[in-house]
Amino acid sequence: MTQQSDSVDGPLNWFPALMGWVLPGLGQVLLGHRQRGFRAMSGILGMFLAGVFVGGVDCVDRREDALWFYAQAGAGPIAFAADWANSALLKTGKVGRLIPSPPSNPRLPPPRVTSFKTVTMSNEVGTLFCFTAGLMNVVVILDALRRQPANPGGGTT
Amino acid sequence: MSALVAWMPFLQPMTALGNAWWLLMVPLVFGVAVVHRAIQDPTMDGYWGRVLSLTIRANAVLGSLALAIYLFVYFCIPLLRAD
Repeated sequence: MTQQSDSVDGPLNWFPALMGWVLPGLGQVLLGHRQRGFRAMSGILGMFLAGVFVGGVDCVDRREDALWFYAQAGAGPIAFAADWANSALLKTGKVGRLIPSPPSNPRLPPPRVTSFKTVTMSNEVGTLFCFTAGLMNVVVILDALRRQPANPGGGTT
Repeated sequence: MSALVAWMPFLQPMTALGNAWWLLMVPLVFGVAVVHRAIQDPTMDGYWGRVLSLTIRANAVLGSLALAIYLFVYFCIPLLRAD
């Protein structure tokens, strides 16, 4: 077990950590670890966008899949943007059609869902991609919180 | 006709994967490896080699687990007596 040399027990980097939530990896970039930051950024944004690409924006749903969304929100505003797109485009019927679905309560009228909603593995895998991206960004944020700023004369890592 | 209408990426789910959805495990593990190595390694020298190594090892472990579960479900469980 090796000790990570860039971490210290000094003051916590609250601002870079916050910026790391706004844009994944930006915390490390602000601390001078540009390569680390940009690589983490590419990994997290790549995973999130791959998830939405595979599963559609329906795989990010703050209301219907709240537990999944709590983790997906770790990826930052991009998760809220995907949820907004889901609510504003699909659930209103602006894209696709609203079709009745089997009611969970027979005494209530059947709810209407978008024709783009699926229960295929694509949707589940897309949800998992976005979920993993959010969790990994939480790890990256915690890393930015404790990482020692890079030496200005020592190059970037 | 509707099947011929162009697929709208990011809005519609990708249905072309069919039964090959499990292959998406590879890019998922690759993404995790990219992030993990970016924050865990002391230096960035040889970064992509370590990312590739982690991707291959993690996929091999996951694939082995999947194979073990497959063999258990389709070959071991049918051998159990029902009574």
